[in-house]
Amino acid sequence: MKKVVSVASVALLATTLVGCGSSAGASGDTDKITVHTHMSQLVLGEEKKDDNGNTYRDESTAYLAQLAENFTAETGIEVELVVSQSADDIEPLLRVEDPEVDVFTEPNFSIEKFKAYAEPYFTLAECEEWYGDYCGTMQNDGENVYLLSPAKVYEAAVVYNEEVIQAAGYDEIPATLDEFEAMLTKIKDMGVTPISLHRIENWPLGTIRDFSAYVGGDAETFTKMLQSDTPFSETDPVGQTVKMYTDWKANGFFEQEVYTDFGVAMDSVAYGKSAMMLFGAWVVPQIQERTPNGMGSEIIKFAPAPDFGAGRYVMTKAADGYAIGKGSDNKEGARQFIEYIADNADYLAKSGFIANKKGVEPIVPELYQLIDESVEAGETELMFGAATTQNSLNNEAVLKEANLLADDKWAGLLFDSYDITKPGNWDAYNAQVKTQNDAFVKFRDQLGITWE
Amino acid sequence: MIKESKGFKLIRAIFLISAALFVIVPLIPLVFMAFKTGTEYASTGVFTAPQSFLNFYNFMYAINVGKLGEALMNTAIILAVSLTVQVLFTTMVSYVLHRFDFKLKKLVTFLFTMTMFIPVVTTQVVVFEIIYSIGLVNTIWSVIILYSGVGIVGIYIMLNLLDSISKDLDESALIDGASYFTIYRKIIFPLLKPATTTMLILNGIGLYNDFYIPNIYLNKSTQTFTVALYKFFGSMSTPFEIVAAAILLGVIPIMIVYLFMQKYIYYGLAGAVK
Repeated sequence: MKKVVSVASVALLATTLVGCGSSAGASGDTDKITVHTHMSQLVLGEEKKDDNGNTYRDESTAYLAQLAENFTAETGIEVELVVSQSADDIEPLLRVEDPEVDVFTEPNFSIEKFKAYAEPYFTLAECEEWYGDYCGTMQNDGENVYLLSPAKVYEAAVVYNEEVIQAAGYDEIPATLDEFEAMLTKIKDMGVTPISLHRIENWPLGTIRDFSAYVGGDAETFTKMLQSDTPFSETDPVGQTVKMYTDWKANGFFEQEVYTDFGVAMDSVAYGKSAMMLFGAWVVPQIQERTPNGMGSEIIKFAPAPDFGAGRYVMTKAADGYAIGKGSDNKEGARQFIEYIADNADYLAKSGFIANKKGVEPIVPELYQLIDESVEAGETELMFGAATTQNSLNNEAVLKEANLLADDKWAGLLFDSYDITKPGNWDAYNAQVKTQNDAFVKFRDQLGITWE
Repeated sequence: MIKESKGFKLIRAIFLISAALFVIVPLIPLVFMAFKTGTEYASTGVFTAPQSFLNFYNFMYAINVGKLGEALMNTAIILAVSLTVQVLFTTMVSYVLHRFDFKLKKLVTFLFTMTMFIPVVTTQVVVFEIIYSIGLVNTIWSVIILYSGVGIVGIYIMLNLLDSISKDLDESALIDGASYFTIYRKIIFPLLKPATTTMLILNGIGLYNDFYIPNIYLNKSTQTFTVALYKFFGSMSTPFEIVAAAILLGVIPIMIVYLFMQKYIYYGLAGAVK
């Protein structure tokens, strides 16, 4: 009987292992690459709403899947696309240097993680030959670029519902802060939410970092907090920007209700329950897709933010990043695929970006029309996003040590400290400003960090 | 028989109705949501009934696009195999620990107990590397192996019941020439049925609802129900009316199992309490 049990146990174990599709230690396969991406809409097609508001997948918009097919037809290299829901899906495979992670896209990794998981794409100097000043805004450690961003995009602007602002008596986003706030008041008086912020999550407040650059008239405004002993006070551009947002909150310019997710926030603009959002270009197509009766780009527009005091700007950054997995067994194929994307202005435009590689004729998506016109007319100035520098890393180190970096607490704690049930009472806000200023200076000095 | 006063009956009724409402009320918006169109969901309150309970669009979308049928089948296979292995191993281990004295018995029991105190999350980096190194990541066998382990809670339930099974039965069978395995198979295992049922219920529900392990090990194409459900959640927005329909679809297998096994479930849990 013992023998029977032993044989049965071995047979059971053997059976369980038979047919296991092993990925570990897979031999190099130069005819195939695997691309792990968080951009599910570009692989499966965008989720849209029909006339009844029912969700459906528009497979004709699976642009990355289509691009991969074309790439295979031209190069003979098969492409497997794997959708990751979050960084947690891909990170275990990157940690073991899975040879099947040839290309990955993950916007939320820090530079430390890119250095650990990604092959250097090229040196900063090599990058600058092809992408000029935009290389500074790609994920790099000052020496190598780890995440190639072959496109550029406009950030920190106003996406708005034109029907709502027209109802308030405006044809465009006003150029000055005073006029802008007057418009917000009129919209509020109409019973419409002036700005959807979606405060229930932390990340939307992170955009204050970009807008502070407009307030300071300098892309490095946020990094230059390091030079100040009172970075969160109204006298400093970062503090001034947070105060401006909190003033808007005090004036009832943000939504009063809680949106269950960001989709509901976008719906509110699409359906005219809210007038606008202050975000980057990535949000525009998503709101356009949600508009009733397919109004899309006819009513949802994207325009530069008003002049917050130092001039009217629109920020431009490198966008749409691709990295080569450190353990990839087909790095050459992976690089070929990324370069294929970089050369494909049409694909990048359909994804909402502008091709940026030297020698590639860009196709500018329609959504940038108003911004382009404003820039060409000299009314708005392009501002390059801040590059990653030792100073910016040091600034983040201080904020991290002061427990103000995660979840953009440096903005969130201030914004939340103003109690709308006590109108005009800024005591708690001012106390929070002092607390944050003190903590910032204390930890900056403790770390021995000075401006370099 | 205790005579119940009117006041007692009233308090009991209020208590039971309140308890029932706590359970039922959160489910009402879920059911309503599953039958609403996207426009209805966006424009009506959660307790507003849908225009039609014959709108099966969300269910069809969940099945066709979300591949929920395939996911439920994977879940069923994983549960069937791993629960079978779990039951066999747990009953065998319990039989050995209860009926035999051997060197290091206390240490073995102690080690089983220790596993209770180590959170699964803390060992996952190492476990993932092991499963990866034998090439099981992205196959259902990774999850089956991890689910097939013997848990100390199951052992305690079995040991508790083994106390009430007389050793005389084993000895009589031994005298009649039965081997230890025959005793286990023909006497012990059948008598452990109430505890086995309890274990199947407790572990079955836990594994059916588990998201953590399958999401780590099955993130490519094979997916379980919970992972398939998660795929409906977008990074920015989620079609909640479809998620609601998918959740209701996920409840169906549990309800079927309950309908067919309610007698065993009731007696199994009652037995465990005893």
